Amino acid sequence: MASTKGTPLQFDLDDEDLKLFLEEAEEQIELLDQSLVQLEGEPDPALVQRIFRAAHTLKGSSATIGHKKMASLTHAMETVLDAVRQGRRAPTSDVVDALLAGLDALRVLANEVVTRVDSGIETERLEADLMAVLEGDGPAVALPEAPDVPVYQVPAGALECCWDDIEQGHGIYFVDVAIASDCQLPSIRCYQVLQEMESIGRLAACWPDRDVIEAGGGEYRMAGLLVTRQSEDQVAAALKAVSDVAAVRLRQVPPAEATAPIEGFRDEPQQPAAARQETGEARDEAPAEAQRGGNGRKASQSVRIDVERLDGLMNLVGELVIDRTRLQQVREQLSSVLRDASLSELMDNFEETTSHLARVTDELQEQIMRSRMLPVRSVLSRLPRLVRDVAVKCGKKVDLVTAGEETELDRSVIEEISDPLVHILRNAVDHGIESPEERRAAGKPETGTISVTAWNQETYIYLAVRDDGRGIDTAALRRKVVEKGLMTREAAEAATDDQVVQWIFMPGLSTAKQITDVSGRGVGMDIVRTNIERLNGQITVSSVQGKGTEVIIQLPLTLATTKALMVSANGTVYAIPLVSVTEALADHEADIHTVGGRKTLRLRHRLLPMIDLAAALGDTRPRMLPTDGYFVVAARHGDRQAAFIVDRLLGEQDVVVKSLGDMLGTRKGLTGATILGDGTLGLIVDIASLVTEQAAVAVPA
Amino acid sequence: MARFEAAPESTALPASEEHVVIFKLADEYYALDIQAVQEIVRMQTITSIPGADFWVEGITNLRGRVVPVIDLRKRCGVPASEYTPETRIVVVSSSTGMVGLIVDAVSEVMRIPGDQVEPPSAIVAGPENGYLRGVAKLEDRLVSLVDLEGVLPSSADDYGSFSRAA
Repeated sequence: MASTKGTPLQFDLDDEDLKLFLEEAEEQIELLDQSLVQLEGEPDPALVQRIFRAAHTLKGSSATIGHKKMASLTHAMETVLDAVRQGRRAPTSDVVDALLAGLDALRVLANEVVTRVDSGIETERLEADLMAVLEGDGPAVALPEAPDVPVYQVPAGALECCWDDIEQGHGIYFVDVAIASDCQLPSIRCYQVLQEMESIGRLAACWPDRDVIEAGGGEYRMAGLLVTRQSEDQVAAALKAVSDVAAVRLRQVPPAEATAPIEGFRDEPQQPAAARQETGEARDEAPAEAQRGGNGRKASQSVRIDVERLDGLMNLVGELVIDRTRLQQVREQLSSVLRDASLSELMDNFEETTSHLARVTDELQEQIMRSRMLPVRSVLSRLPRLVRDVAVKCGKKVDLVTAGEETELDRSVIEEISDPLVHILRNAVDHGIESPEERRAAGKPETGTISVTAWNQETYIYLAVRDDGRGIDTAALRRKVVEKGLMTREAAEAATDDQVVQWIFMPGLSTAKQITDVSGRGVGMDIVRTNIERLNGQITVSSVQGKGTEVIIQLPLTLATTKALMVSANGTVYAIPLVSVTEALADHEADIHTVGGRKTLRLRHRLLPMIDLAAALGDTRPRMLPTDGYFVVAARHGDRQAAFIVDRLLGEQDVVVKSLGDMLGTRKGLTGATILGDGTLGLIVDIASLVTEQAAVAVPA
Repeated sequence: MARFEAAPESTALPASEEHVVIFKLADEYYALDIQAVQEIVRMQTITSIPGADFWVEGITNLRGRVVPVIDLRKRCGVPASEYTPETRIVVVSSSTGMVGLIVDAVSEVMRIPGDQVEPPSAIVAGPENGYLRGVAKLEDRLVSLVDLEGVLPSSADDYGSFSRAA
C-alpha cells in the first residue's frame, strides 16, 4: 500500500471537542499503559474488564470524530481483549506485546488529531498482528467459570417474626449485593450492608449467615431476604450508599414463595466501583495499603482546571505573601513609633488583623500549592513498561520495585522529572544489572532488582533509584577519563573512588563497552544533571563495586518558590538558592589562605577558590569590604565548589522567582529577581554558572 | 487587562491628531504616544543589575512586577543629572514587555494636530533620527515625538548605541 504519510487529515470536531477528545484519549491511553503490563500472567477479571473498557471508550470516541484508523485499531485491540475477558485467550506475552504495539500506535494516532497530518503509521499490520495473536494457539485460560444460578435455601421459620409486617403490606425482597472486587476489606463492607438492611427492615435470612458476617467472614458477595415497607428503589439506593458496594440487585418475592428455595441472580462480569473509575486511580493491590479500605475511603471529587489558571492564582498569592511581609514590617515600625497609650487599642487591633491576614495568606498559599501537586505515581507508573522493554532488549532479568507513589510534588516538576528518571533507569538496566549468567557466577539471584523510591523530607522530594548490579567500575572510569583527555593520569589516580564515581556526570563520557540503542552515546548523565539542576535540584550517586549503585535526586517541592540564603554584597541584596549552599561562615571563623596569589578557603579537606560575589557578577562599582569583617558562603555545583565573599548574611527566605524580563534577557550568573520584604528587589544568583566558570576542581589538602 | 495592550506600531502619522504624554529631558520636550504609556510613577528604589549597560538603571518592583528601568538621559546621551522631586518613571509597554523610562519631569497630556508634525530629518540630522519619528512645531516650543521601539533595545543582544556624545 502506498504510504499516505503527510496527507492532511480532516476530523469532525471543533476546538472544544478536540480538547475533550484529547483529554479523554490521553486518560484512556494512560490507563492502558499502566495496566497492560500487569495483564501478563495474572488475568484478574477486574483488570481485564478495566482494560477492555478503556479500549472500548477509545474506539467510541475515535469513531465519533471520524478517525477511521484509530477506530479500526482500537476495534482490533478490543476484539483481542474481549477474547481475554471471556477466557478464550490467555494474556500471554505475545498478546501483551501485540497490545502494547497497538498502544504505541494509538498515541501517534491521537496526536494526528492535533497535527491534522497523516503520520503514515500502518495500522493494518498491527491489526493483522492482533488478529494473528487471537488465532494463535495460546492456551485458553480458565477464568473463574460463571457458576450456575445460585439457589438460596430459606431456613425454616425464618419468616416467623415477619408475618405481621408482611400482612401490613411490607414487601419481601431478595437482595443480592456485590462488593467491589478491588475493595480491601470486604468483610467490613458486608457487615455494613448487613447493618444497613437491618435498619431498613427485618432481615429474615442472610447468606452467608449473619453470624458469619458478624464474625468478619463476609466476602465479595452476599444476599439476604429483607422484609421492609420501603420500595425497591429505596432499598437499592440505601445499600448502594455503603462504600465499595459495586452492585445491588433485588427482586420482590411473593409471600407465597418466600419460604421456598430462592433462585438468585446470574453472575455477570463485575465492574469496579464507579467512583473509583472516575478518579482514574490505579488500583493498589499491595497488602500494605489494606488499611485504606478500612476507614471508609471517600471517593475523591475532582474538577479539571487549566494549569494556566492555577499559575495565575499562584502568582497572585505570591504577591499577597509579599504584601503580608510588608504589612508586618510596617506594623513593627509603627509599634516602635506609636507608643502613645490612646493608640494602643488601635495598634492591638491592627496587629490582630495583620497576624490573621498572615495566617490566611500562608494557608491560601499552601492550598494553592497543594492544588498543583500530583502524586509521583503518574511518573512511576510508566516505569514497569520501560524496564520490561529495556530488560528484554538487553537480555536481562529485572524486577522493578516502586515505593512512595503517593508522594506529591508540583506538576511542573513532575513534567520535568520524567525524562531524567527514565534515563537513570535505562542506565540501571543496561549498565547496572548484569546478565543472568554473570549474576549466577557472582552468586547473585539471576533476576536483578531495581527499586525506585520516592519520599518527602522538609521541603524537598527525594527519588532514589537503587540497583543490585555490578556497581560503577571506577578503574574503567579512571582509564576512560585519561583516554579521552579529560584529565591527567596523575589527577585521575589521585582521586578517591567516591570522587571517581561522580565522573559519570562528566560531559562526553560513556562506560558502556558498546554503544547500544538503550543507553545512548554518553550524552546521558551530564544532561540528566543539567536538567535536575535547572529545577534547583541536586543529584548524587554512590556505588559499591559488585553490589550495586544508588542515584538520589533531590528536588524542591515546587518551582514557584525557592528557599534561599539572602546576602548583601556591595549594596545589593542577592538570594543564593539554599540547595547549592554548603556552608556560610564569618571571615574570622574561616580558614583562609593565599595560594598562588589567590585567596583560598580551606574547608573540610578541600581548597575552595574564594570569589567576590559582586565582582563575579560584573559589578564594577567601587568595592569596599565592611571594615568589621565579611562573610564567606561556600556553594557547590555537582562536585565543584567555590566560596563567595559577601558583606552580610541576611537569613533564609522563601523567594518567588521572577524573570528579569525580555529586555534584559539572561544575565550571566543571575536567574531572576525576587521581591524582598521591604518591596525592593533582590537578585537570584545562578551558582551553577559561577562555579563552573571558576573551574574549581577539588584538590586534596 | 486591556491596560497592558501594546502600542500600535504606527510610524505613519495619522492625518488627524496624536494623543501624547509630554515629558522633559534637560531643557527639551519629548512626547510619547499615550497608548504606550501604562502609568507614571515617582522615583522609587531601583536595584542595579551588575554587568548591565550603563544606561540600564536596574529593575524595580511595580506592584509585584519586575520592571527594567532605563535612564533616558544616559540612553539619549544627555549629560546625567541628579534626580529631583520632579523626576518620574514613565512605564511603557513595548515589544519586550514593560519598561520604565526615567525622565526629568512629566509636563502634560495633549493632542497634537497631525499637520504640525514634520519628519525629524527636516529639522535635525543625526543619530536621533533612530529614536524620533517626528517633531511637532507647537506655538511656543518644539516637541520631539519619541519612537518607542527605536529607543529601546529590541532584545538583550542588540545594544546598538546612538549616543549624542559621539
